[in-house]
Amino acid sequence: MPYHTFKCSECIPERAKHAVIKGPGEDLTSCLPLGYLNTIPGTISERGCAYCGAKHVIGAPMKDVIHMSHGPVGCTYDTWQTKRYISDNDNFQLKYTYATDVKEKHIIFGAEKQLKQNMLEAFKAFPDIKRMTIYQTCATALIGDDIEAVAQEVTDELGDVDIFVCNSPGFGGPSQSGGHHKINIAWINQKVGTVEPKITSDYVINYVGDYNIQGDCEVMVDYFKRMGIQVLSTFTGNGSYDELRGMHRAQLNVLECARSSEYICNELKVRYGIPRLDIDGFGFKPLAESLMKVAMFFGLEKEAQAIIDEETARWKPELDWYAKRLKGKKVCLWPGGSKLWHWAHVIEEEMGLDVVSVYSKFGHQGDFEKGIARCSEGALAIDDPNELEGIEAMKTLKPDIIFTGVRPGEVAKKLGIQYLNAHAYHNGPYKGFEGWVRFARDIYNALYSPIHQLASIDISQTEVDGSGFSTRQLISDVNIDKTVITPPEEQPYTGDYDCVTKLRDKTYPEPTHKIVKVV
Amino acid sequence: MDDSRKDKVEQLVDYIMKWCLWQFHSRAWDREKQNEGVLTKTMQLLCEEPVACETPADKCYWVDAMVLAKDFKETYPWLGAMDKPDIKILMQDLKDRIDYLTITGSLNKELTDQRY
Repeated sequence: MPYHTFKCSECIPERAKHAVIKGPGEDLTSCLPLGYLNTIPGTISERGCAYCGAKHVIGAPMKDVIHMSHGPVGCTYDTWQTKRYISDNDNFQLKYTYATDVKEKHIIFGAEKQLKQNMLEAFKAFPDIKRMTIYQTCATALIGDDIEAVAQEVTDELGDVDIFVCNSPGFGGPSQSGGHHKINIAWINQKVGTVEPKITSDYVINYVGDYNIQGDCEVMVDYFKRMGIQVLSTFTGNGSYDELRGMHRAQLNVLECARSSEYICNELKVRYGIPRLDIDGFGFKPLAESLMKVAMFFGLEKEAQAIIDEETARWKPELDWYAKRLKGKKVCLWPGGSKLWHWAHVIEEEMGLDVVSVYSKFGHQGDFEKGIARCSEGALAIDDPNELEGIEAMKTLKPDIIFTGVRPGEVAKKLGIQYLNAHAYHNGPYKGFEGWVRFARDIYNALYSPIHQLASIDISQTEVDGSGFSTRQLISDVNIDKTVITPPEEQPYTGDYDCVTKLRDKTYPEPTHKIVKVV
Repeated sequence: MDDSRKDKVEQLVDYIMKWCLWQFHSRAWDREKQNEGVLTKTMQLLCEEPVACETPADKCYWVDAMVLAKDFKETYPWLGAMDKPDIKILMQDLKDRIDYLTITGSLNKELTDQRY
């Protein structure tokens, strides 16, 4: 077995099977770490809790909802605004965060009255918003507050509101992934099928497992609309509460992040017979094939091919410009769950990067199967690493860049290694053809930033090199062969600073087909 | 299985593992259906046999199979030189190998969970 033991974790024998190195001849029957297990006491895990997974990842991107946490203010504050899931309604869901402000006295006397008062106040403060999600937290779960009963009481009292109860307290699973599971199942149990949507096309999908990070979801929906497909709901990026209640009327669930939302797709398959199609929205080849698969399901191949041809012609040369300059750079791909497999192979194939490690704090063994299958030989795969293991891996593997979250990213910077935010992005969207170029641009900027070069110099130890002025391109182009003629369109990114807002005013041709199925 | 056929199977396995997601559904019973559905249809497409697409589930397997068959033909020119009975044998070996890697030999302990 190719298990890897970190020196810093030799004193924690329970960590023995949580890291593997993909050696020559290894396959998934011999090379797979444990995953999605209870955190080992003493490892100082960096995971999120089940409440965070339910609220912060999946619930809160819903755009027309008051997201009320029933618990101390810290729970809601710490899951607010660190992930850029934007929306087309002026980012209502990002602007405010709500908590019932539970304190010690409520632990003794109960907090149901407090919850009801807060709910009424919130609806009064935002009279245009008629939908609410209540998130249970550890404290209020432990004292046994009946949030379903309070939700029903408020619904009855106000009459024109609808309330979703998410019972996923922080202790409700090994990690945030437990919360993903709980909110998926709660949504289909409580809400799916309670609204009959208006069907406007013969071709109807739900786009599932995209949280509209810096506009990812809107980019993908634009492609679907250009093909004439009706996107009934987006789960949950830029998603509307009532649209998501009508998920049961789609003909196909197009699934992006299987880690966070395969559960609802599986249940929609079992309960309503809607098939699940897993796709990759990142990278030119995977995206083109994904669009084509969705198109083929409906017989829209020509429409898809037109989009693929147009987008590839426009953006591929700019990707090529970056790929020449990223070739051979070593990457630790340390994102959440799905990006470790969405990105592992395609950043190697299309950008020339070398993935030396993948990790996930909350991924399941299924995610590691996908990630390890897509990695090259020699890659180190780690489940739920702690900070010391991350540091040891960086010192051993000597990557040029880390794709990870803010907290481990700052640790990387202190070691003189640049990082890109794989969760909230730096300058996304990263999905779509243009988005993939923006990702390459951000990687390039990180790797070759002159300030990054300077920041790693220890001026107390080193004679400072006075070579003077430099730019990114002066640094990156040292090894570029200037005698090779490149086409003029092969150049750095020429798109707009904001490539998403303009999609919101776009009009799409009316479907020429006739709707034969009346729901 | 002779070395040449084994090598061909491994090439096809590598392609699926790198570029596909359909083989990694979350439970063993799902994976059995996925592997059977997609790889049977891929074999039928490669052998120019009729492919059933009557149910939504069939259609879903078919779209994955269409893309896989096209990629196989483009990536592995030796497929074009094989006759249909040999392709069928090769594809059965491929399915057995994918079943082993993703189901029967898998170390993934969640595959046998009774519920999603």
